[in-house]
Amino acid sequence: MVSKVPHRYSVRDTPRTSYRGKHEFFVDMTCEGCSNAVTRVLHKLGGVQFDIDLPNKKVCIESEHNVDTLLETLKKTGKNASYLGEKSAQ
Amino acid sequence: LTMEAKSIAVVVEGMTCNSCVQTIEQHVGKMNGVHNVKVSLEEKNAVIIYDSKLQTPGTLQEAIHDMGFDATLADSNP
Repeated sequence: MVSKVPHRYSVRDTPRTSYRGKHEFFVDMTCEGCSNAVTRVLHKLGGVQFDIDLPNKKVCIESEHNVDTLLETLKKTGKNASYLGEKSAQ
Repeated sequence: LTMEAKSIAVVVEGMTCNSCVQTIEQHVGKMNGVHNVKVSLEEKNAVIIYDSKLQTPGTLQEAIHDMGFDATLADSNP
């Protein structure tokens, strides 16, 4: 799998003892402005690593925050957002 | 009952399409005490008519900022 995650965020070779959930969300984004807005609210929340897939309207978040907090945060953008499910780490 | 209707313009950066415009209009339009919102993509601003007893320029700016856009207060006409 080719990862778009910047190298400094790479956790692939580091087995973690604490569980960090990786969650997939649908967010109704249609343009760069939308994905930038999502980026900003997530940055503001802090403690998250994420990937935004604009064409597929998906946001994949790795965080210690719970799903409700993340969904609440995504909904702050005013866009439709829903939880798709857990994504197993590759 | 008198309404303290005021109008402000908030400069909004980061909107690139009509979908951004609509989400801001819908979100801010739902806020308590907001009578009217007009967001312009070309002028990069949001003109809001609101009840000054229920909202302040600061709370309106904060609401747009919380949505993930850069919002700054432009001139307000009392």
